[in-house]
Amino acid sequence: MEKNKGCNVNLCKVWDWPLRMFHWLLVISVSACYITGLLGGLLTDWHGLLGAMVMGLLLFRIIWGLIGSSTARFINFIPTFSSIRAYLSGHWQGVGHNPLGSLAVIAILVTLLSLAVTGLFANDDIAFEGPLFHSIEKGLSDKLSGWHIWLVTPLLVIIALHVSALLFYLIVKKTNLIVPMLTGNKRLPVNDITPSIDSVNKLRCLASIVVAMAFVVAIWNDGFTGYLVLLAKM
Amino acid sequence: MSINLAFGITMQLKYLLALILMLSFFKVSAGTVEDQIKIRQSAYSLMGWNTTKIKSQIIDHPETYNKDQVIAATEVIFAIANSGLLDLYGAGTHQGTGWKSTRLKLDYFQKQEEVKEIDARLVKASIELKASANLGDLAVIKEQFGKLGAACKSCHDLIRIRD
Repeated sequence: MEKNKGCNVNLCKVWDWPLRMFHWLLVISVSACYITGLLGGLLTDWHGLLGAMVMGLLLFRIIWGLIGSSTARFINFIPTFSSIRAYLSGHWQGVGHNPLGSLAVIAILVTLLSLAVTGLFANDDIAFEGPLFHSIEKGLSDKLSGWHIWLVTPLLVIIALHVSALLFYLIVKKTNLIVPMLTGNKRLPVNDITPSIDSVNKLRCLASIVVAMAFVVAIWNDGFTGYLVLLAKM
Repeated sequence: MSINLAFGITMQLKYLLALILMLSFFKVSAGTVEDQIKIRQSAYSLMGWNTTKIKSQIIDHPETYNKDQVIAATEVIFAIANSGLLDLYGAGTHQGTGWKSTRLKLDYFQKQEEVKEIDARLVKASIELKASANLGDLAVIKEQFGKLGAACKSCHDLIRIRD
């Protein structure tokens, strides 16, 4: 942890660069997915490609949530009743996702993953077919396409809550949570002795990216089809 | 459209003519609710089959582009779009089963101005798509195909119930 004498605060590394890259790439790709899905026409194909990107990012995040740095690991931020109660009563301490923020993160990841999976089997009855559309019956694809569109509303609600919380922290609590997600560093009080996260393990990071990309490429090239079809029919 | 010399007409053209005749008949007498739903479901399925063929040859696998096949597909779409599809949306046809349960929203009957605007866009797009297919310029066909898809989507968003 660096001591920032000028500001009388500590600069603590709380978010590693793969997590930050994931976050902002997800913001860009999900926004683009939403716009292309809304406009349709020739942009529908772009919607499919951006969906592949979202799928890849989510897979990376799942892997990174298991082997990434401490604040990225699910095990370190999955909220419990006691942690939420402590947070709401002002007694929670820690860096990384706070318990309510963790709930939002999990809700966003689960909703996006559901959107990505339903999109794989979707069709628009015009000219678009997801990469696994032909693996299932048309009736089931229509149903999953309906769910795919239905899931957009809860996603927008969760994102709105997430952004509202950021603004609440910025305006009411005078804490900027956006800059740390850009720089990785968070300003902490001088008496806070929270250690910075470890530096990124490049081999693990590379392995996570390769596995996620391989999975996406396999899906778009008819690999893993049987397994995903089984999941869809459950 | 290729011509079968033995019979003077291809099966595809026969089906198309049969569909147009049926649609023309229904313009005069729209038939029962179930018949109207059945015919419009057939029409959109045939249209969808042809949009898929165009997309495959123009966008997904341009190396397979066959000018005659794309022209034939655009002619089918043109014929269906210009056949008076709105006559198949009689009163009460937001409920009932054709080949399967209809997904038409009751909104259809309350949003007639928007429906007619989208229908006009579909007709215009089908005319321009057919013209572009005859020119044979893939970039132009792709652009017109996008406009047709956008018109279809507008209609789905407005009056179709999601599964």
